[in-house]
Amino acid sequence: MRLLNKPVRFSSLTHHTLKALIHLCAIGYLVFLFYAGITDNLGPDPVDTLLNETGIWAIHLLFITLLLSPLAKLLPSPEPIQFRRMIGVYVFVYACAHLATYILFELQLDMALVASEIVSRPYIIVGMLAFILLLLLTATSFRRVRKSMGKRWQQLHNSIYVIMGLALLHFSWSQKTFWQEPVFYWLFAVVILQGRLRGIMVQAYTRWQRNRAKV
Amino acid sequence: MHPLTMMAVGLYGQTLPPQNGAPIRLVVPWKYGFKSIKSIVRIKLTDKQPPTTWNRLAANEYGFYANVNPNVSHPRWSQSSERRITTGGLLSRNRIDTQMFNGYDEVASMYTNMDLSRFY
Repeated sequence: MRLLNKPVRFSSLTHHTLKALIHLCAIGYLVFLFYAGITDNLGPDPVDTLLNETGIWAIHLLFITLLLSPLAKLLPSPEPIQFRRMIGVYVFVYACAHLATYILFELQLDMALVASEIVSRPYIIVGMLAFILLLLLTATSFRRVRKSMGKRWQQLHNSIYVIMGLALLHFSWSQKTFWQEPVFYWLFAVVILQGRLRGIMVQAYTRWQRNRAKV
Repeated sequence: MHPLTMMAVGLYGQTLPPQNGAPIRLVVPWKYGFKSIKSIVRIKLTDKQPPTTWNRLAANEYGFYANVNPNVSHPRWSQSSERRITTGGLLSRNRIDTQMFNGYDEVASMYTNMDLSRFY
């Protein structure tokens, strides 16, 4: 299905204005959160609010990056893909803010406690795995690195789907019971991925066939 | 009832507001907050351990006794120290060591010979 007959193209001005707006919103909200937190204007428990907001917005941004390629096909337009890297990097920035809040303000730099919590709480292990993968994706997000990695770049960056699964598991596991807000996030994830699921399965099947042929 | 257990009808010198559990609520200072139930409408005396809301919802996280105990971790976090909700914003250093029975040693005698890591 296509919404428009002619592919949408942005002028250079529109492109740069949109990018500036995304930077403004993403950085602006983080600055607002930390400023309000430091001046004690973030509710009765600023640490809790900050943890929730940075975590949930990392997931929201991750959803947006995954919606860009279906959007590009639907319009059709090559433009949405132009914004994918910057929003992806902001997922990492929000994840950094989330982890920093946990270590600096929740555990208040009690490093013995940080170490024991990271290894003994399953939902934190899962969150850390997602963070490490995000770090890898961000470190290889530069055009130069992308070129030099060739085919391996795409293989590595397909781990965004793994990251999404880990992030949602981390979210679900951090709640009192499974049947809470994260359930809607899982449902949304299934909806936005169902178009891709077939492609992923076909790819996995052909790779498996090829490997079997080799043996 | 242990003398440290309170039935409260007020808060900070005012009548107890609905959001804090009006008209009457329980306050058990040596247990985790969820044991201090709000808006009591009925009291039933039983000879068996009654089912309790949080315990039914997530038994691995919420024990029946729920005594403050730094040696028993919650499944999702250590309970050896706690971050107090104070004023001062993000930068206030308000993490302190948690004390057994929240510091109310006078209740310890009720739990002698009980394995508090099992009956948490």
